[in-house]
Amino acid sequence: MKLKHYSNYLIKPILGGLFLAGIIIYSPIIFKSVSNNSSYQPEVISYSDAVKKSAPSVVNIYSQQYIDSSVGNKQQLQPTGLGSGIILDAKGYILTNYHVIAKADQILIALQDGRLFTATIIGSDTITDLAVLQVDGEDLPVMPQNPDYSPEIGDAVLAIGNPYNLGQTITQGVISALGRSGMSSTGRQDFIQTDAAINEGNSGGALINSRGELVGINTSEFYTGTSNVTYGISFAIPYRLVSHVMKSIIKNGRVIRGSLGIEAENLDPLVARLWGLEAKNSIIVKKITDGGPAHRSGMQKNDIILKIDDKDAINLIVTMDKIAKIKPGTNTKITILRQGKEQILDVEIGELQQ
Amino acid sequence: MSGFIQTLLFSILLLININVSAALPTAIDGNNLPSLAPLIKKVSPAVVDITVSGGNKTSPQDSKDLLDFFRPNASAQSKPRPQPFSGLGSGVIINAQKGFIITNYHVIEHADKIIITLISGRQHEATVVGQDPQSDVALLQIKSKTPLVAITFADSDKLQVGDFTIAIGNPFGLGQTVTSGIVSALGRSGLNLQNLENYIQTDAAINSGNSGGALLNLKGELIGINTAILGPNGGNIGIAFAIPANMVKNLAQQLSEFGEIRRGILGIKGGEVTPELAKSFELDINHGAFIYQVTPNSAADKAGLKAGDVITSVNGTNIRSFAALRAKIGTLSAGKKVILNVMQDDQEKTITVILGGKGSTSLTTTTKSPTIIFEGAILKDAEKGQLIPGINVAQVERNSDADRLGIVKGDVIIAVNRTKVTNQQQLIAELKKAKNMRALNIMRNNRPIYIILD
Repeated sequence: MKLKHYSNYLIKPILGGLFLAGIIIYSPIIFKSVSNNSSYQPEVISYSDAVKKSAPSVVNIYSQQYIDSSVGNKQQLQPTGLGSGIILDAKGYILTNYHVIAKADQILIALQDGRLFTATIIGSDTITDLAVLQVDGEDLPVMPQNPDYSPEIGDAVLAIGNPYNLGQTITQGVISALGRSGMSSTGRQDFIQTDAAINEGNSGGALINSRGELVGINTSEFYTGTSNVTYGISFAIPYRLVSHVMKSIIKNGRVIRGSLGIEAENLDPLVARLWGLEAKNSIIVKKITDGGPAHRSGMQKNDIILKIDDKDAINLIVTMDKIAKIKPGTNTKITILRQGKEQILDVEIGELQQ
Repeated sequence: MSGFIQTLLFSILLLININVSAALPTAIDGNNLPSLAPLIKKVSPAVVDITVSGGNKTSPQDSKDLLDFFRPNASAQSKPRPQPFSGLGSGVIINAQKGFIITNYHVIEHADKIIITLISGRQHEATVVGQDPQSDVALLQIKSKTPLVAITFADSDKLQVGDFTIAIGNPFGLGQTVTSGIVSALGRSGLNLQNLENYIQTDAAINSGNSGGALLNLKGELIGINTAILGPNGGNIGIAFAIPANMVKNLAQQLSEFGEIRRGILGIKGGEVTPELAKSFELDINHGAFIYQVTPNSAADKAGLKAGDVITSVNGTNIRSFAALRAKIGTLSAGKKVILNVMQDDQEKTITVILGGKGSTSLTTTTKSPTIIFEGAILKDAEKGQLIPGINVAQVERNSDADRLGIVKGDVIIAVNRTKVTNQQQLIAELKKAKNMRALNIMRNNRPIYIILD
C-alpha cells in the first residue's frame, strides 16, 4: 500500500514532470523546422538517403549477341542491348524488362561497385515484359522492399537507371496515375505512370519512393512503339505484380495463368436492362477459342457470365484476374445466362499460352 | 500503478508524435504550402539574360571561292562573307561591386557585341574579361550605376546524388525561367574528350538559352553553371549537365586576375582504377586516379609521386575518377599548392604538390606522353641489382595499344634495336632516335624476343 501511495503522489508526478521538461527543452529543436514557416525558409532536404539505400542494387545490363563477323566466317559477340535491372534477392536474382534481354546470347551485369558478372536467364514473362536473371556473387546489394507500401497518386518517386549508358542516373517526379497490379495486367493502362524522366537504357531500372523502397520497374519500351515522343509520361510495372511474377518464375520457370479460352466484354447496363437483367454488372462472351476450355464445356457466343465459383463476375478486369489466378486443371463452376435461363457449366481451366 | 504507466505511455507517445512531425519538414502545414518563391525572389536578380551578335560565325569556304571564280554569274549570295548572327544565353553575377558575370564560353564565342539584360529590364553592354574554351567558361564585366545582386557560392564538393536543384536561365529567349530537379549523378565526363569535364548531372529542365545560367541548391547558393544537355531531338529529356561551382570559382578567380587560365600542371599520365586493375595491384579501393607514368622533373616527380600510385583525394575531396582529377587540376592555377592523398606501396600518404605552369618541363595531365605507343602499359625503371637490367612492364591494360603490340605483363624491355635501355627516359630517347625501323628487345620468361613497332 505504501509503495502505491508513493507512486501515486511522488514518483508519478516527478517522472511526468521530467518528461514534460524533456518535451519543453527539446521542442525548440524539434519544432525548428516547422516553426520558421512564417518567414518560409526551405529546409535543406535531399533524397540522398533514399538514393544511398537503393541505388547500389540497380545494375547496368548489357546484352550481347553473336553477329556474323566480316573477317572470316567467325561469329563475334557484340553488344546489342542496353538496360537496367534490380537485385531483388541476396541469392542474386535480378529483375529486368524482358525486351532488354530478349535477343541476348550473353548478358553482362555491371554493379555500381565495378563488379562484372555474366547472368543466366531463370525465366521470363512476355505478358508483363519481365525477366528474372541470376548472377553468382557474394555480398550483393539488395533493393529495399516494403510489401505494406501502397503507392498513391502524388507520391514523390525517383527513377534509377542507366540512360544512354551515361552511368547511373537518378531522376525525380511524382506518381501521375495508377493502374492495377492484377495478374491479367498487360500494357500501359495497368502500369504506374510517372513524370520522372525515363529514357532508353532506363528500362528494367527501379522506381523508388522517398524512403528508398521499390515502387516499380521502369519501362521505356512504349516510346519505341510510337513516333510521338512524349516527355513527362513514363511507365513502371507495379512492385506487387513484379514480386508475384518473380516468385512464380523462380518456382515454375514461368508464370502460370488460368485461361477460359474466351474473349469477352463488359455488359452494358442498358443492354442488360433491355434483356431484363436488372442492370446487373456482368460480362458477355464475344468469342470462343475452338477446342479451348470454354468450348469444351459447351459455352457459346453471347452467353452472359454471371458467376465464377459462386462469386459475381462484376466486370471483365476482375473476372480475368480471377481466372488468371485459378490453377490450370481445376474444375470450376461457371454460372451463365443463355436466352433468359441460368445454367451452370463445369469448366476445366486451361493454361494461358504466351 | 496503472495510472503511472498511462502517464508514462502518454508522455512517450507525445514525444514520438513530435518526432514524426519533425521527420516531414515539407509537410503541408495549414496554409503554408512549401514554395521556392521567397528564395527565387532573393536570387533571381543575380541571373541575367545574355544576347550576343557578331559577324563571322561561318568561316569563308575556299572551294566556293574557286567556284565563284569560274562562274562569274553565280549569285552574290554564294559569295563567302561574314554572316551576321545572334545568340541567346544566360549568365550569373558573381561579384556585385566589380560587375563580374560568369557564363559559358560557347554563349559568347565569336560575339562582337554582348548585351546583358538584368531582371529589372536594364541593359548593359559587357566586355569579356577572359575566356577558357577548354572548360567552357567566360568571365564578363558590366558597369552599372545601380547596385547589383551577386550569387553566393556553395561548396559543390559536398553535393550528393539526390539533392534538390533549381535551374534559372533564359530558355529559348522566353525570359527568366525557373525549373527544378535533383542531382542525378556527379562527376560526369566523356561528353567531349578535349574538354575538362566533371559535370553535375541534373533532371531539372534545361534547354537552349539556359547555357551559362545558374544551378542552385535549396539555400539559393550556386552549385553549378548549366552548360550542356543530352537531347536526341534537341530538347530537354531530363539529362542536363552543369560545371560545378568550385571549378567555376577557381576559373573566375584566374580569369579576373590574369585575363586567362594559367593551367596548373601535375605531370602525370594515368587512368581509372578499374576492378581488374585494383585486383592485380591488390588495391583496396575502387575510386581514384591511377598513375601510369610520372614525367621526369614535373611537379608530380618533384613531390615524390610514382607510377603505380593511386591519387584518392585532392585537397580533402575524394576523387572519383581520372577525369575528375584532370578537371580539378586543370582548373587550378600554376603555382597553387595541392594536397593529395595517395596510395603508394600499400600505404596511405599525403603528398603536397606545387603545380607547374606553362613552359615547365612537365606534361599536362591532358597531353599524351611521348611513349604513346605503349599506351596502356605501366612501366617501371630498372631497379638496382635487377637480374636482367631493363625496364619492367608492370601492367598491361587489355585492348590498349600496348596489348595490341603484344607487350605482356612481366616483360623486361632491355633494348631498342641494339641500344640497351634501363629507364624510361632512355627508352623515349632511343625510340625517337631510331629512324628506319624500331624493334623492342624484350626478355620474356628468360628468352629474348623482339617486337617490331612499325
